[in-house]
Amino acid sequence: MSVEQILKAAQGRVDEAEVCISTGSSLSADLKQRQIEIGSLSEGSGLVIRVITDGQIGISSTNTMDTWEQCLDAAVASARFSDRVDWKGLPKPAAIDHNPLAYDSAVQARPEILTNLISRMLSGADSHPDAVVTGGSVSISCATHTIANSTGLFYEAPETNVTVSLEMIAGQSTGFEYDTSWRLDAINPEHVGEKAAFFAASGQEGEEISTGSYDVVLSPTALSHLLEATVIPALSGRNVHTGRSFFAGKNGQKVMDEHVSLIDDPFDSRGIGNCPWDGEGMPVQKTSFVDHGILSSFAYDLKTAYRYGEHPTGHAVRSGMGGAPGIGHHNLILTADTIDVMGDNAVYIHDLIGAHTANPMSGDFSVELSNPFHINGGDLDKPIRTGMLSGNVFDLLSQIDGCSKETRTMGSLILPSVRCSQVSIVGRG
Amino acid sequence: MPVDPRYYDIRRVSGEITQVDIDNGKVEQAGTSFYDKATVRVLGDLGWGILSVPGHRSGSENLHKDLISQALSASAITNERVEISPVPSRIHQIPRIGEDPRQVDIEEKVKILLDLEKSAAADNIVSRRVTYIEKAENVFFIDSSGVEYQYELCRCGFSVLAVASRGGVVQMGYERDHTISGLNIRHRHDLARESADRALQLLDARPAKGGMMHAILDPELGGVFAHEAVGHAAEGDLVKEGNSVLKGKIGEMIGSSQITIVDDPSLVEFGFCPVDDEGSATSRTEIIRAGKMQSYLHSKETLAKIGDGIAGHCRGMAGEMPIVRMSNTFIENGDASFEEILQTCKDGILLKGSRGGQVDPGRGMFQFNAEYGYLIEGGECTTMVRDVSLSGEILQTLHAVSMVGNDRALHPGYCGKGGQTVPVTDGAPHLLLENAVVGGSDVC
Repeated sequence: MSVEQILKAAQGRVDEAEVCISTGSSLSADLKQRQIEIGSLSEGSGLVIRVITDGQIGISSTNTMDTWEQCLDAAVASARFSDRVDWKGLPKPAAIDHNPLAYDSAVQARPEILTNLISRMLSGADSHPDAVVTGGSVSISCATHTIANSTGLFYEAPETNVTVSLEMIAGQSTGFEYDTSWRLDAINPEHVGEKAAFFAASGQEGEEISTGSYDVVLSPTALSHLLEATVIPALSGRNVHTGRSFFAGKNGQKVMDEHVSLIDDPFDSRGIGNCPWDGEGMPVQKTSFVDHGILSSFAYDLKTAYRYGEHPTGHAVRSGMGGAPGIGHHNLILTADTIDVMGDNAVYIHDLIGAHTANPMSGDFSVELSNPFHINGGDLDKPIRTGMLSGNVFDLLSQIDGCSKETRTMGSLILPSVRCSQVSIVGRG
Repeated sequence: MPVDPRYYDIRRVSGEITQVDIDNGKVEQAGTSFYDKATVRVLGDLGWGILSVPGHRSGSENLHKDLISQALSASAITNERVEISPVPSRIHQIPRIGEDPRQVDIEEKVKILLDLEKSAAADNIVSRRVTYIEKAENVFFIDSSGVEYQYELCRCGFSVLAVASRGGVVQMGYERDHTISGLNIRHRHDLARESADRALQLLDARPAKGGMMHAILDPELGGVFAHEAVGHAAEGDLVKEGNSVLKGKIGEMIGSSQITIVDDPSLVEFGFCPVDDEGSATSRTEIIRAGKMQSYLHSKETLAKIGDGIAGHCRGMAGEMPIVRMSNTFIENGDASFEEILQTCKDGILLKGSRGGQVDPGRGMFQFNAEYGYLIEGGECTTMVRDVSLSGEILQTLHAVSMVGNDRALHPGYCGKGGQTVPVTDGAPHLLLENAVVGGSDVC
C-alpha cells in the first residue's frame, strides 16, 4: 500500500481525496512507588481517508494499512449521507519550509534513556523526604505524519515526544507534576520530582479557609483547566456558527480585560507538536484570537469555513493516530500586563479538581481547590486544607490584575500565572 | 533474558465504529471506521512487558511466539518482581439484544436521528446537536494457562444537546442514553424534547448560592458520588500504590450503616463484562456493606499484592494494557421514599443530573457538578438553580448520608482513567447528605 495507490484508487470515484497516515512507536516505563513494574512497547499506525464529491464529505479510518480498500469504500459510502457544503477545494501544494519543527534525533526508543530520566526524577523527589512516590511514568515516542491529497499535495514530517510524570503523597496530601516536550534536553525530570514532592510534603496539616472573597493567583495549570473547559471551545468557528459559543456574535467586541491577549503561534518553539501545516495540509499562521481584550477572530478548518462562508485559518488538528480533522489550535498563548503576582497576600491555587465540569456556554464554574496555599511575603506559606472556587471564567478574564513573567508550556497551551481580585471561595472553616 | 515468560496473555480486539453527527439540521458525518489491535502481556523475571501491535500481527500461533519474545524484551527494564493470583476464568453468556444495530442501515439511522433532532426545536433554542455512536467489537483472548475465549458485543447510544439563548443568557440541556440491549434511537422524541425544555427552564434559573447545607442527590448524581467518591478509591491499583484514603480500612465502619456500595461487571447493563480483559470471571463485589468497608476492586496482580476482594475488575481499551476499573457501580436501595427525604431535609438543595466529576483518591477529595437543582424550602422543591456543584471528603461524606431512598436507577456513561475510556453505569437511589459543601457561582 502506498499513498499514491490510495489516491489513484479514489480517482474517478470522487472529486477529491485526502490521505492522512501516521506511523510510530513508543517505549515507556511505569513506576509503582519507586520501582519500575511495567515496560511497554507500542507500534502502530493510522490511516484516515477523506473524500469529497459534489460538496459531500465522506471519511473513514483504520489502523491496519492492508484494509485500506475497505476504508476507502467506507469513506466513499459515507459521503452520500452528509449535507453538502460549498466546497472550494482541498489545499494545493504551497511553498512552505518542510523542515520539521518538533523533531529531535536524540529522542530514541532506548531503555537507557528511560532509566536515566527516571533516576533523575526520583533524585528530585528526594528533596522532600516526607513525601513518598505512589506512581509515575516516562515515555518516549517517535512518529511520522503524512498528509497528501489529489491536488498533488504531499507533506511528511517526523515528530518526537518525551513525557515524564510523578505522583507523590505525604499523609493525605498529594502532589502531581509532569513535563512534556519534543526535545529531550528540554525535559527537566529533577524539577518534576522536586515539585511533586514539594506539593505533597507542603500540603500537610492545612487549615480550613472561611467562605468569602479572596484575591487569588491561579497557576498556569489551574488556568489551563479552566480555559480548556470554556474559552477554547468558544473559539471554535463551528461552535460560533452553531450557537454554542459564548463568543458568538461578539467579534470586534471587548470580551476580556484590555491587557489580555490570546494568540495562537504555531511556530513558538516551546510548543510540543509544531508543524508548518495543519491537519488538512493548510499552511499555519500566527492568529490573534483576542487582541488587548477585543475578540478578533475564530478558528476554522476547511469544512466549517466553507459551510459558513468564512476563510479557513489553518486550525484543523487531528488527535492521535487515525483521527479525523477537527477544529483546534497549535500553541495558544495568553499574555497580560506582567506584575509580581506573588507580591501581595493572596490565595495561590496550583490545581483544580473537576474544572471540566464548568459550564461551557456561560463560563460559570464551582470547583474544588487542589494544592492551595496562602501567599505571605511573596512566597507560598501555610497550606489550605479544602475549599471551592466559584465564579465565571469570562468575568475572571475581564478583571485580571496581571500575570507573571514566567510561563509554563502544557501541551498546546503556553500560560503565565494570573492574579485576580475578589474571587469567591466556599470554605469549610 | 529468560527464554520463557512466567505468564503471558494475548488480547486481540477488532471492530467497527459507526458515528452520526447532526448539527443544526445538517448531517456533518455519518460513516464507519475500523480497528484491529492486539495487546500482549508477559511476566518476565521481574515485572510486566507489554506490547501493542496491529491485530493481524497476532493472527497465528507462530506469530504469537514472536510477539511474546518482543514483549519479554520490553519487560527487561523492570526492577520489581510482580506476582499474580491464580483466578477462576469463566465467561457469562452474551445477552440477546433487541433490534441489532448492525442490521439497520446507516441511511435509516440518519433519518431517525434527523427526526429526533427536530423534536428539540423550540422558540429560543438556538442550537441543536444529535450524535450517535455504535461500536461492534470482537474480543479474542488467550493466556499461557490455556484460558481462551472469544465474544462479540455491540454497544450503541446517542446524545441530544439543546442550547437556549435569551437576552444574553445562554444555557444548555443535554440528554443521552447508551445501551448493550440493541438499537435505542427509535421513539425517543421525549428525551430530545426534554433536553430543549431543560435548556429553556435554565434561562430562568437562578445561579446557585454556595455554602454548607443539606443536599439531596438524585439517582444519577448519587451514582456519580458512588463512582467518583468511593469506586475510584476502592481500585486495587491505587490502594496498592498507597494512593487511596481507603487503604487499610477493610472491616472498618467508614460510612453510614444505610450505605451499601457495589460494583458488578456481571450485571447486564452498559458496563457489562462477560469476562474481564485478563480472562478472569466477573461477579458482584460489595465495596461497602452496611457502612463497613468490605472489598477492593482487583486485577490478578493487585489481588496478589493486597488481597481483600476478588479479581475480575481489570479492563482495557483495544490496544491498551488493562487496568483496574469499575463497571456497573451503584448504591443499593434503602427504604425511604423521595417524599420522606424531602420532608426530613426540610431546607436545603436538590441536585439533579450530572455534568461529570473528579476525585483525588489519595487526598480523599471529590467534586462533581449537577446539571441543575432546586432549592428545598419547608420540605418542598421551589426555585430552580443552575451551575451547582458539590465537593467533599470521601470519608466524612459517607458518614453524612443520613437517608437512602428506595428508588434506585442506573445511568450509562463513560469513565476515563490512565488515558483509557470504558463504558460504565452508575446509579443510586435518592440520598440525603447533611451539611454538604455546595458551590455555586453566586457565593458571597
